[in-house]
Amino acid sequence: MSALLQITDFSLGLAGRKLLDGVTLEVDDGESVALVGESGSGKTLITRAALGLFPDRSQRSGTVSVRGLDTLTAGRRELLRLRREHASMIFQDPRAGINPVRTVGDFLTETLVRWHGLNRAEATAQAVEQLERLGLRRAEELVAQHPHQLSGGMLQRVMIAGALLGSPELLLCDEPTTALDVTTQAGIVALLREARQERGMGMLFVTHDLGLAASLCERVYVLRGGKVVEHGATRQVFLAPKEEYSRQLVEATPVIDPGAAPHAPELPEDAQPLVAVEGLGKHYGLRGGGTVTALEQATFRLPAGGSLGVVGESGSGKSTLARLLVGLETASEGTVQVEGSGRIGHRLRTAERRRLARDVQIVFQDPYLSLDPRIPVGQAVADVFRLHGKEGRRKAKESARELLGRVGIAAERLGDKPRMLSGGQRQRVALAKALAARPRLLVLDEATSALDVSVQAQVLELVEELREHLGLAILFVSHDLAVVSRMCSELLVMRQGRIVESGATARILADPENDYTRSLIGSYPRPLWETESLEAESAAP
Amino acid sequence: MAVPAVAFVARKLLVLAVTLFAASLAVFFSRFLVPGDPARFLLRGRSPNPESLAEITRQFGLDKPAWEQYWTWVGGILQGDWGRSLSYRQDVSEVLLGRLPTTLQLVALAAVFIMVLGLLAGIAASLNRGFADRFILIALTAAGAVPPFVAAIALVAVFSVGLGWFPSFGSGDGGLDRIWHLTLPALALGLSYIAVLARVTRSSMREQMLREHVEVATSRGLGRGSVVARHVLRNALGPILTVSGVLVAGLLVSSAVIERAFGLSGIGQLLIQSIDRLDFAVVQAIVMVVVTAFVVVNTCVDLIQPLLDPRITAGTENR
Repeated sequence: MSALLQITDFSLGLAGRKLLDGVTLEVDDGESVALVGESGSGKTLITRAALGLFPDRSQRSGTVSVRGLDTLTAGRRELLRLRREHASMIFQDPRAGINPVRTVGDFLTETLVRWHGLNRAEATAQAVEQLERLGLRRAEELVAQHPHQLSGGMLQRVMIAGALLGSPELLLCDEPTTALDVTTQAGIVALLREARQERGMGMLFVTHDLGLAASLCERVYVLRGGKVVEHGATRQVFLAPKEEYSRQLVEATPVIDPGAAPHAPELPEDAQPLVAVEGLGKHYGLRGGGTVTALEQATFRLPAGGSLGVVGESGSGKSTLARLLVGLETASEGTVQVEGSGRIGHRLRTAERRRLARDVQIVFQDPYLSLDPRIPVGQAVADVFRLHGKEGRRKAKESARELLGRVGIAAERLGDKPRMLSGGQRQRVALAKALAARPRLLVLDEATSALDVSVQAQVLELVEELREHLGLAILFVSHDLAVVSRMCSELLVMRQGRIVESGATARILADPENDYTRSLIGSYPRPLWETESLEAESAAP
Repeated sequence: MAVPAVAFVARKLLVLAVTLFAASLAVFFSRFLVPGDPARFLLRGRSPNPESLAEITRQFGLDKPAWEQYWTWVGGILQGDWGRSLSYRQDVSEVLLGRLPTTLQLVALAAVFIMVLGLLAGIAASLNRGFADRFILIALTAAGAVPPFVAAIALVAVFSVGLGWFPSFGSGDGGLDRIWHLTLPALALGLSYIAVLARVTRSSMREQMLREHVEVATSRGLGRGSVVARHVLRNALGPILTVSGVLVAGLLVSSAVIERAFGLSGIGQLLIQSIDRLDFAVVQAIVMVVVTAFVVVNTCVDLIQPLLDPRITAGTENR
């Protein structure tokens, strides 16, 4: 008797490139297995293959069998039955995965009506029941609504409900919480754990986040470049990895550790702060009346050479704050004072903007979008030297070569367009571009969120090193408490446009005062063995 | 929910009214840019007798200030009085009503051809990669490059002269006979637009096919037909509808050539004659009708869009 999902020596090639190479993997009934890997490792291809979804014109070999049905050789009808009755998939981004022009109810019932022989009313009743079981209130109203009227977390619950309605034996989860906030992620993870235990489903959980895998799965496969490099019990792989790559991954995975937070630089008592923010607020007028408050009453100071982390979930106003600091938005109230650049509360004129840009630079989240695709990276950086440093063409080129070398971009890549570089390399270029202006404050707006953990670790290290060398002040905006706490000595916790807690990072992590901060720290995924030992402790008399 | 919807409709209707007003200004005052005195034209080169000239000028209200003429004209239109034709010596509304139905029927039939054939070709091209797709695309591009009068000649040569299936001239009597007569003209009129719509359909469908929700639908075990109908075509309709609105409304203008080629007496023909004869009342009326049709069709399209994509009323379509 073979396992529920049995992948044996599965290889997949596309256009002459081997994307998967001899993957062997199994998931048993009632078991939860993690598939961990970075982007491009082929983890998505594996989950798709379990449903018989392959890229067009790919060459495949080996077997991928679900309940004994090999999806590589199965006919169309057998595949349809597999997808309808045996296996379901939960996708990464419910906003993209649920048809935006149809109602939530339609998404849930379209499968029930089509082959489970239910009429529309019965199907809707089932859908409502399933939604309620997943903890969504007012489910009757929800089914008549469209996806854009629901939050990301609610929508992911809808997606899960849709997957569970087919009573699958195998649940494939493709990074189901990556697009969600950390507190929402905690809820979804708990939900998946319960559903799996209740139904005895087998689960294959794909993620790039080792910590998340450890919090949910007993066994883990580590995938790299289309090959399984290591597999075993999660605890084993996590605590005593055998392979070099797994060890790197574990090390690169950020953890919340109050002891690891950097110390604040020693400053003379009367030192002027580099940035002084006073009562800053931003309101947006809505079409058709009403206003949205993105940020209100933000007050803080940042000394020269200091580091301030800003954490919060989507909609907390943290990005608005970052954009206000670099003058991309105009404040509705309050002031921002940057030493030497004066106030930047009003709309900036060109000369003022240039002066501010010399002091304050920003690195954005997505290096795929923030670099001009037509301009070679060497020139992109040289341009900044010419603009802010008033350097000549030749001198600027030389400076760019030196700076890019310092962030780890070799001289022979200078003529490359951004698309020829990897994500991590692009973010290094974006960083070099920002540093070329020789700013005193560097604002990082989720600057590592789009990167793989190992690349993130490298970029973070680079930022730390540069900060020490250049005496930069850093404002790091992120949703990831672990990343921010590693980088910054001071912390602001934001929620719904307000700063709810601020202070030294080590203090906040060890002894949070605010309930929201506590829940933010508490939602960070914890390995199964830790929660189990905690539960065992609390259960013991 | 209901309040934004009402506000949305009200806003669209307001825009419609403003556009029509602006168009009426442009239409009316553009006449003063054209050289030539309409009253003189009526005398057909006879020696200008100042008295009769003044008489005609007064009779048609041409002596009044421009603004006053404009208000009289607009007021008349709102009451169904489009003024008098200089050359036909009839009410414009009568001249127009005699010909408008033919043109409207021609345009409607062409619109049906465009929608049906364009959609079918576009869908077929988007679903079949490789040879079929390329064949349809090349055929469509070729068809789209054929000027309507050439298409008219070719269609007549093949289907009426060669095969004798359709008549080559006239608009026939009402009912089926009319449709039979208008088939070739409508095809000739719509041919290049079919190509445009098919291309839009194809690219809009292709774009939707790459969306993740389509993959999700497939992964849930929906058959290919259901996936295409419910998740690809349904989502692709927005751009298709927008383009068809513009195309179909534009047909009214381009029908002139086809009317001439097939000897139909419609407003396209009338427009050209009237411009020749400086018959401004008729020209203005026709242009106003065309502009109104254009704006109304596009407003209808705008009003249907939120039904296709509920995100539009909410103002979050950029998500």
